[in-house]
Amino acid sequence: MSATGIAVAMLQVVLTIAAAPLLVGMMRLVRARLEGRVGAPIRQPWRDLRKLLRKERMVSANTGWVFSIAPLVLLASAALVAGIVPFLSTRSALDQVGDLFAVVYLLLLGTVFLSLAGLDAGTAFGGMGASREMTIAAIAEPTVLVAIFALSVSTGSSNLGAIVAATLAHPSTAASPESLLAFAALAVVTIAETGRIPVDNPATHLELTMIHEAMILEYSGPDLAMVELAAHLRLVVFLGLLANLFVPWGIATTVQPLHLAAAAAAVAIKLVALAATIAAIEVFIAKVRLFRVPELLAASFVLAFLAVTASFFLA
Amino acid sequence: MSDLIVVLPLVPALTAAVIATGGWRKATMWLPTVSCLTVGGIGITLAVRVLQSGPITAFSGQFRVDALGALMIILIGAVGTIANTYSVAYLRTELATAATTPHRARLFGVLMQLTIAAMCVVVTADNLGVLWVAIETTTIATVLLVGHRRDRASVEASWKYLVLGSVGVATALMGTVLVYFVSRQSGGDPSTALNWSSLVERAPHLDPGALRVAMGFVIVGYGTKAGLAPLHSWLPDAYSQAPAPAAALMAGALSTMSMYALLRFKVIADIALGASYVRTLLLAAALLSLVTAASLMVTQRDYKRLLAYSSVEHMGLIALAAAIGSPLAMTAALLHMIGNGLAKSVAFSATGEMLFATGTTRIDGVRGLLHQRPFIATTLGLSLLALLGLPPFSILASELAIVRAGIADGLAWAIAIALVVMLAIFTAVLVHALNMLAGSPGGATVPSESTAHVTSLTVRVTLVSGLLVAAAIGITIWPISQLLHTAAEVLAR
Amino acid sequence: MNDTAFVQLLDIAAGLVLVTSFAALWLRRLVAVARVIAVQGVALAAVAFVIGLYEHENELVAVSLMVGALRGVVLPGLILRAVRAGDERREVESLINVPAALLAASGLTLIAYAATRDVVALSSTPQVRALPLGVAVMLIGMLLIVTRRKAVLQIMGVLMLDNGIALVMFLGTSGVPLAVELGIASDVLLAMFILQVLTSRIRNKFGGTDLDQLRELRD
Repeated sequence: MSATGIAVAMLQVVLTIAAAPLLVGMMRLVRARLEGRVGAPIRQPWRDLRKLLRKERMVSANTGWVFSIAPLVLLASAALVAGIVPFLSTRSALDQVGDLFAVVYLLLLGTVFLSLAGLDAGTAFGGMGASREMTIAAIAEPTVLVAIFALSVSTGSSNLGAIVAATLAHPSTAASPESLLAFAALAVVTIAETGRIPVDNPATHLELTMIHEAMILEYSGPDLAMVELAAHLRLVVFLGLLANLFVPWGIATTVQPLHLAAAAAAVAIKLVALAATIAAIEVFIAKVRLFRVPELLAASFVLAFLAVTASFFLA
Repeated sequence: MSDLIVVLPLVPALTAAVIATGGWRKATMWLPTVSCLTVGGIGITLAVRVLQSGPITAFSGQFRVDALGALMIILIGAVGTIANTYSVAYLRTELATAATTPHRARLFGVLMQLTIAAMCVVVTADNLGVLWVAIETTTIATVLLVGHRRDRASVEASWKYLVLGSVGVATALMGTVLVYFVSRQSGGDPSTALNWSSLVERAPHLDPGALRVAMGFVIVGYGTKAGLAPLHSWLPDAYSQAPAPAAALMAGALSTMSMYALLRFKVIADIALGASYVRTLLLAAALLSLVTAASLMVTQRDYKRLLAYSSVEHMGLIALAAAIGSPLAMTAALLHMIGNGLAKSVAFSATGEMLFATGTTRIDGVRGLLHQRPFIATTLGLSLLALLGLPPFSILASELAIVRAGIADGLAWAIAIALVVMLAIFTAVLVHALNMLAGSPGGATVPSESTAHVTSLTVRVTLVSGLLVAAAIGITIWPISQLLHTAAEVLAR
Repeated sequence: MNDTAFVQLLDIAAGLVLVTSFAALWLRRLVAVARVIAVQGVALAAVAFVIGLYEHENELVAVSLMVGALRGVVLPGLILRAVRAGDERREVESLINVPAALLAASGLTLIAYAATRDVVALSSTPQVRALPLGVAVMLIGMLLIVTRRKAVLQIMGVLMLDNGIALVMFLGTSGVPLAVELGIASDVLLAMFILQVLTSRIRNKFGGTDLDQLRELRD
């Protein structure tokens, strides 16, 4: 583990944290413009976070320690994943732990803690949101595992950096059936895990439908800021995974500053394009009813499953 | 000589064209009978030639008639004659009572002939792909025959028949395509790779593993179309809702065609895979069919469905004979096809007359038929006895031969099960028949207008001759014995 | 066309045939299912087209165009007409729920791979490697027929089943002899046509195409 490697990982975390709220702000702006509104400026999420950080921390007397540490765990796990996943370079310092399973379980750790926190507060909405979130996670996490596993079969490694490097070396595999199927599966899961339409609506507090927002109702001030930032981070992590696993071009294979700068620009372009597409699509579709969500996720699981069979039998 | 193979399907096809343009009228209504008699005549001519000088081919080997094919053509001719002769009387009654329209009567006549034309292609095609196309064509044509009456029940029956029939026949197509694949992989020429005669020649070189998969599809597919359990559920619905002449044709000849296709594939499989694979599958289907048929015949309340399940039973018996596979068993299977074809078509024709006479297909709706309608009652009774395997009819001979062949081949346990089941069927049919035929007509209400219905002389002559032929073959087999044995040699291991 | 591109295109087209059959299980609106079946027909034609181009077989290219017209346009068009005639755009009932159906279909895909191991072992071409997909599509078509209680959906199941067989046909042997091919195509067309006629008869007699109403015939 070289010093430059650590530097790259740190850089990646810092950049991701800086960019995540901006990306969310951009998605909101795209939506607003498409809906004919002027919309808030791109830096609005940062302003919101700053405002929240200045506010007083209010904690319900009925809550326990889980409620207090959940935002920290959530943010820490999201930041760690942001350092692990190959955004800038395939040779990240945390490469040895940059494993598919590590990433998935780190993300799941945050989800579990948030759900526990939702239950901890003892309110009706928190429990409801937690139960819904767990229903989704129970199908979504295996899908992520299976989908990335399909990609790792051809590489022979479950290391994310190795998968990306292999795709770089053999560009034609990016259009093979298994990677297309895996891409479709991961795309659906990304939508579900980041609470976007059609699974959840990040802009609503309608109690009948909300999932993510229901769990964090009890949070305020700096805690809420951490939860929000973590949610933004997770969105970037998922989108970045999606972008770099299937369209890895531009990523640096070394740790030279010039290459890293180019890689940062490339990943930024990919993220912006992907996020804008999602925001644009969200304008045109309605949220599915809650009982249809498991069907949607089952479909994505099946796609991931087909990706694995394809990678075994067609390769 | 190969001209006759070309002419054969053209006879019913042209008859269909004439009826389609001329309508169902006095001048045309006897043409189908003539056409079927011609088909039978061509079959006999071909049989004589085949026995003298071996198989005949046409269209550069895509069509081929051997002893088995000739025998099947004769069967189609015979069953077709009974069914088409009866359809004249049947449609006359329906038109007189306004149960059908001239337009539908014309469609009925056309479809009957198209079915027969397609069956002629089935038994003359050497190319297994052409054979499949012909079988699918019979399905399509008979679906509309089943739906002839267009009431709720017949619409339901034709839907179930078409959906399940399509699935079954499609499965057989999958098997056929895989056989073609296996054949091509072993170096077969594209133009002959799907020809039965060349497949038999090259069978030892075909890959057994892949062929096993293909045969599984074929057996399930054609087994479904033949009415073997467990995929038989379309059959009682279709046979009971089809107009009596169509049911006679389907039960007498059409189900035999799928069995014929199955047996052709079995020859290839037996050489390439050894006998045990197909035997196991056929044995399971045969015993399951027998048991299913028996259990549903005991409690049956509808006499047409009773006959339909009797078809399941007899297809099961033929499958049992095919599973045994020795020359004696194959001779028995073919003789059974003929006996079942004749007796079943006579029986279904008789049910048509019963329906006109009593207005119901419920067994408990018919009482004292022997008293009211001596001719119909006697015909039905005799054909049921023939189906049960009583002397002097030929089914007795074929059943005895199956029993002997089975015991000789070490399948005594299967024969024992079959015999027990057949005893149950025997009792059930006898009780049902006595209920309908004997007694006084007191309780049953008989519609007044249909009591005026009289069975015409031609129908009487045809049905009696059908039974007489079945009895004659049962008493002495010599007119067809050489043909039967040569045909069985084609199929036997 | 070089080898890699051929394998890619072939696998994508064949994979699309399979994915569309899953989509048909997943979707609820009848019109959407009919469109997916049309996409499946086009993907099937693409498989034949790609193989025809790669092997320089003009006959197969011509057949692929015919298949595309028949299974991508004409037959789905017939089905769409039947759907619109019924004024019942929504599929309501299925014997098993959607996730279960999707899992069952995944299971069937595995079964198709397992059952055709010996067949695939015969050759090492990319076409034959993708051959189990056709068997899987056929089995999923059967699943659709068994689990759905709408007449129109059963028609679509029959069509899907035929698409699966056609896929095996193209992948395994680059199609069967042309005469047989034409016979199969016309039979499929006729069967579809009659299924549609029967659908309208069911609608007339039963006042809808819900197959649970078909219970006149029982033992």
